[in-house]
Amino acid sequence: MKFLQDQLEKVKPLFEPGGKLEKLYPLYEATDTFLFTPADETLAAPHIRDAREMKRTMITVLISMMPCVLFGIWKAGHQHNVVNQIANTGFVEDMIQGSLLVLPIIVVSYAVGGAWETLFAIVRKHEINEGFLVTGMLFPLTLPPTIPLWEVAVGISLGVVIGKEIFGGTGFNVLNPALTARAFVFFGTPKAMTGDGIWTSVLDNGQVIEGFTGATPLAVVAQSPDSTNIIQTLQNSDFGEGFTWMRIFLGDFGGSIGESSGPACLIGAAILIVSGVGSWRIMLSCVIGLAAGSYLMNAVGKSGDFIAFTQLSFHYHLVMGGFLFGAIFMATDPVSGTATNKGKWIYGFMIGLLVVLIRVANPAYPEGVMLAILFMNVMAPLIDHFVLQAHIKSRERYLKRFKPHD
Amino acid sequence: MGIDIIISHTICRIFLFFACGSTPRNINVGSYKIKHGLDLRLMGSPKPSIADASDAGSVSIYPQEFEGIKPRLQVKEGDIVKRGGLLFFDKKNEHLKFRAPAGGRVNAIKLGPRRALTEIEIEVSPNEDVETFQQYTAEQILTLSRDEILSQLLETGYLAYILQRPFSKIADPAVSPKSIFVNGMNTAPFQADIHIAVTENETDFQAGLNILTRLTNGKVNLCIAANPANPSTAVTQAKHVDIHTFSGPHPSGNSSVHIHNIDPISPGDQVWVASAVDVILIGALFLEGVLPATKVVVAGGTGIQEPSRQYYRTRIGGRLDSLLKGRCSEEPYRLLSGDVLSGIQIQPDEYLRFYQSSITAIPASRKRSFLGWMSPGWNQFSASKLFLSSWFKRSASWDFNTNLNGSHRVMVLTGLYDKYMPMRIMVDYLVRAALAHDTDEAVKLGILETDPEDFALCSYVCPSKMDVMGIIRTGLIEIEEEGL
Repeated sequence: MKFLQDQLEKVKPLFEPGGKLEKLYPLYEATDTFLFTPADETLAAPHIRDAREMKRTMITVLISMMPCVLFGIWKAGHQHNVVNQIANTGFVEDMIQGSLLVLPIIVVSYAVGGAWETLFAIVRKHEINEGFLVTGMLFPLTLPPTIPLWEVAVGISLGVVIGKEIFGGTGFNVLNPALTARAFVFFGTPKAMTGDGIWTSVLDNGQVIEGFTGATPLAVVAQSPDSTNIIQTLQNSDFGEGFTWMRIFLGDFGGSIGESSGPACLIGAAILIVSGVGSWRIMLSCVIGLAAGSYLMNAVGKSGDFIAFTQLSFHYHLVMGGFLFGAIFMATDPVSGTATNKGKWIYGFMIGLLVVLIRVANPAYPEGVMLAILFMNVMAPLIDHFVLQAHIKSRERYLKRFKPHD
Repeated sequence: MGIDIIISHTICRIFLFFACGSTPRNINVGSYKIKHGLDLRLMGSPKPSIADASDAGSVSIYPQEFEGIKPRLQVKEGDIVKRGGLLFFDKKNEHLKFRAPAGGRVNAIKLGPRRALTEIEIEVSPNEDVETFQQYTAEQILTLSRDEILSQLLETGYLAYILQRPFSKIADPAVSPKSIFVNGMNTAPFQADIHIAVTENETDFQAGLNILTRLTNGKVNLCIAANPANPSTAVTQAKHVDIHTFSGPHPSGNSSVHIHNIDPISPGDQVWVASAVDVILIGALFLEGVLPATKVVVAGGTGIQEPSRQYYRTRIGGRLDSLLKGRCSEEPYRLLSGDVLSGIQIQPDEYLRFYQSSITAIPASRKRSFLGWMSPGWNQFSASKLFLSSWFKRSASWDFNTNLNGSHRVMVLTGLYDKYMPMRIMVDYLVRAALAHDTDEAVKLGILETDPEDFALCSYVCPSKMDVMGIIRTGLIEIEEEGL
């Protein structure tokens, strides 16, 4: 370790003001502080500081996403092997196949997004922010495993640059960068992001399993004719295996890489809540909003011949699509979400409500989580503004209580 | 906080009204439980014993400690001054005079940038002459007029021990504050405990409180800890003041928290604040008619070796050498006047500051650890839950050092600071308003109720290592310059 530290010290003058590679200082800083905790001392009061810093905070978020990543890899491989009827495959083969499908997407996301981060850090002369570790992983998890890699590169570039850097970089962005990236890919190249054929990788010359359509539970519901029994339809779909509630919760079917597994998302939620990094208020209020929305829709659905989606009950909405993933990992982004505690309740509730509204009322696409969160990202400063005005009013009332009555 | 306190306060009042026939002046009138905050458990706490260290050799006074004054020097190097002899006065208010803390020869007068007066050093003579001022008996004090008291405080410079809020500068004698707060508790690590410092000076302390009661038409509120470790009846049963008790983690001992709960500052209000340890000195001045020569300070922290971590009776403004020589750690350490959260860094060859009554020494550390962000975190304290130690070593004491434990980043997390702010203040937004120089918004958000020290814990916990204290300090200065 001493050797490594000495080497770093040796090249340091190159990167310091006046050095040959002065411009690349952010890169040096990132490497240096990645390898060794910084030697900086406090300059003024308080003379002691907590051991917590940004790296550990962001690494915790990354750890919380690991169950989703691992499950996503397994699922992509497993689906591939089952649907293409590849014989003699087990867990190991599934993981290998999954890695071949998923890892390139993650690598491209990190490499291209990281390059933009570094470029902006160098131009703007600030440190490289660890927040990108999270963005770079969140984005791939929202993509189908069949996505062309160039689209990943374009998506993350637009997400980082348009979603974050043009607002001034980390901490100043209005929208969640990972979701912005997904939105660009979603609307820019709908062929690769929508429909039934994209969620499972199918071999060109392969023989797919009989009855395979590739439709996700949400798509099954969206495609059902009005007034059919939706639960029955779900159970008859997906080449005979059927979408029971438990199967949808477990997530062993097509869909985006990281977001279909309920258990994996809940482990992530547990890590985020216990460590205090993610806001439980937002997660809980998202679920409450979703419940309110789905019961409202159920009530509307009863009153006449409405589309099948209105029948879908709360516990199905909860586990379908990317809701859990979005509520746990996307909505809780502290920069693009609301900053006040009261605001967090409103923000989460509205996300849950909007998810149901978009799912049920929008005929164009069955999922609404991404749009609901992006919309509420835009609304977040407004919510905070009202919370803040209420806070100022309550402060005035408090101070008034102590004024002598004259 | 809030309604429940108002109710308990009122019930208490009503009860006392019936029990005593009138509103009493010397009874515990309120107890407050503070929830938000954090107690840092530092190793190296001082023993509650007082040692004598009064032979300081020389003393110094640092005029720049006195916020808002412009000194006009009245001595030159080589002059012989009495203890209490005039050193300089304030150009803005010529009645406010500052006097020598000890008698002897003026050794050095140091000037800083732009010839600002930074330090006057006096070599203490073994048989120092003492300047005398008006002397009063304990009974006389209670009948003195506000003007008589103010003129003595101005004449001796002891008015500097009384600070006004907002802005924490020397109280303006032209203003009658709506109330006065005496801070008789300390929740930051290793501050002088009034219950110990008051030993042998009990009558001085009571006299000091009596003096303060003559300065306001409102109340004098003595705020003390609910369960002091070494209680002294001179404090817990002080007369002629309202006694309030506070419990809960730091910053429950900060004056801002006391004021916020008892008599909060609206824009335009002025409240005066004094530290209980300094009230002893004010009382001694009036009872003796001379400037007291010594005060009690505490020395703590692992940078000071055992068994020297304890209280000392020492010269006011005395040389630190006399306290610390041979008693400090051999490892590199940082010496602080005050506590680790809001003290200022000083060198061992300097002198005790006017305001602080504590000296802390903590290890200086530039140590780097390999892949530190990945370590399980058994050997580091964190207020967060991201370290093993936060789960399994919850009651341990820690040898805190000066390492920043990270590097500066932009503000990302929200709502974290509020967990360490026991007042009706949304810290994130106050910080943003101060950073944006939006003074109107900052005032609305309550900056006038605060002092930079109230944000020490916010700075402490910030994972982006923001200088929250500094931001608030700058914000307050801007508002003061702009005028309300």
